Amino acid sequence: MFDIIFRNITQRKLRTGLTIFGIALGIFAVIVMGGMSEHFNQTFDKSISLTADKIRVFPEIGFGGGNLNESKVREVKRVAGVADAYGVLQAALDPESLGFFGGDAVIGVDPEKFPSLLKDTRLSEGRFLAFGDGYRTVLGSSVAREFNLKAGDEIQIKSKRVQRASSITHARNFTVVGVMEYTGSFFDNGVLIPLNIAQKFYDRGDTVSFILAVPDPNVDAEDLSKRIELNVENIKTFSPEQLRKQIEQSLIVFTLITISAAVLAAIIGGLSVMNTMLMSVSERTKEFGLMKALGAQTQDILYMTMGEAAIMGVLGGICGIIGGGALVYYLNDFLASKGTVLFSVTPRLLVISIVFSTFLGVLSGLYPAYRAAKMSPMEALRYE
Amino acid sequence: MNEPILSVRGLSKTYMQGKIPVHALRDVSFDVYKGEFLSIVGPSGSGKSTFLSMIGLLDKPTKGSVYIDGIEVTRATDSDAPRIRREKIGFVFQHFNLIPTLSALENVDLAMRFARVPKTKRRERAVELLTQMGLSDRMNHRPSELSGGEQQRVAIARAMANKPAIILADEPTGEVDTKTRDMIVELLRGLSENGQTILIVTHDTAVSARTKRIIRMLDGMIESDTKVEGY
Repeated sequence: MFDIIFRNITQRKLRTGLTIFGIALGIFAVIVMGGMSEHFNQTFDKSISLTADKIRVFPEIGFGGGNLNESKVREVKRVAGVADAYGVLQAALDPESLGFFGGDAVIGVDPEKFPSLLKDTRLSEGRFLAFGDGYRTVLGSSVAREFNLKAGDEIQIKSKRVQRASSITHARNFTVVGVMEYTGSFFDNGVLIPLNIAQKFYDRGDTVSFILAVPDPNVDAEDLSKRIELNVENIKTFSPEQLRKQIEQSLIVFTLITISAAVLAAIIGGLSVMNTMLMSVSERTKEFGLMKALGAQTQDILYMTMGEAAIMGVLGGICGIIGGGALVYYLNDFLASKGTVLFSVTPRLLVISIVFSTFLGVLSGLYPAYRAAKMSPMEALRYE
Repeated sequence: MNEPILSVRGLSKTYMQGKIPVHALRDVSFDVYKGEFLSIVGPSGSGKSTFLSMIGLLDKPTKGSVYIDGIEVTRATDSDAPRIRREKIGFVFQHFNLIPTLSALENVDLAMRFARVPKTKRRERAVELLTQMGLSDRMNHRPSELSGGEQQRVAIARAMANKPAIILADEPTGEVDTKTRDMIVELLRGLSENGQTILIVTHDTAVSARTKRIIRMLDGMIESDTKVEGY
């Protein structure tokens, strides 16, 4: 039967081609949008795993909105079960052009706390910051690529300071002393500088954006998180679990948006298969009638028509994956030179795409196949 | 004589044309025995095509029954109909009705596919039948590359493929010239002499004159049923 299906498909090359193209476009969208959402999921997963052991302490009013005085660091440290705590100051690298999806960020941390912050992240070149370093910086791999910087080069950091009603932008060059390896987390977009330099440069006095608290071994992070909140005033804590939940929630929305856009595109492709199949079935009314007169069973005809639709779905899926994969590949390549990567095509995504396109083909072949199969041979043969 | 291959009993068909009933067939009965070569003739509207579609399970009668090989085909359910069609009946149509995308060989092959005949056997039988029809050098041609006579011979080969109890031919010479017509009728005659039961519906008297039995229909009834002498 397969040879007949194949014959029918190749018989109408242009029409089949257009239909396959329709499905391919849909799957293309699935790959590109899905790849984007997969990438975000991966990045957050890795970022969370890097910071999973720490409790975040924020000022009570909003995220990054307020500032925490460094005295709070000592208060947090005093809470029983806290092994260590340190402040982090975070600011946008270029406040005048905030990048898509966050962009690069300056992270000010006490150089001694780097091993705790970055865990076992290694450097691809140069050295880490050390106590007493001035306007020096260690770059994330994406930042280094974006500006094409090596150890020894200089990077310009801007700060916006509000003075009376207007804001003045200061710019200053920092010397790059090291570049980190690719981690797949948000540290790739980080520009690490010493905390005291950051506070001075951003004119933040002795305040920090948030505090990271490292729990003692064998201390439950959830419990500790609550204890810190009770013991220290005017702060809010995020345990690793809360953080994960928070991020997952926002990721779900993002994933839903991208996936539904992609699915919509794919459904349009499916409709084009249905349209083609309906046309081709009505064109072959006589053929199906004849087959029934020759003794074809309903399932024979269903198999033939649905097989045709399914093959178009699969071919469309393959074309879409190749097209989407190529676009993602070149776009990632291009974006990497700008310092970000947006897509990851995971095996899971590939499987979903191919299953989805086949399913789409079969589903949209269902109704045309039903029409073909229920055709009365008498009617069909009379039809000229 | 032995059991009839085809037995028609009190067959009636009434269509509703709007609110007016049209009696296409009225109480038709007759028997056909193995190896018979008969024709049903009659003017347009005499009910011969309706009759053929009843026998071929393409349509259901209002009353009466048709038996093929002892099976009451008019009672067959929709799921049984395909099996009866492919095992008991071979169709030959006026417009040949070959599948245009398939070669002569594949057209014959297709009929056996539906009967789930294994591939090697199908091919063997298709080649044998087409050779018998004198088409051994045309087997891989598509219908569009064949003449009307050749197409009809492919259609006859296809009808024969599953060794049916009876071949039903609806105006098989309606679209070919007289020379081809004669050739096709001779071919069918030859098959009937080998024991194949063949029923032709035609309004071409030159065709019916060569069959061995002529049933003349008029207004949905059998007007006459005559054995042709001399054969």
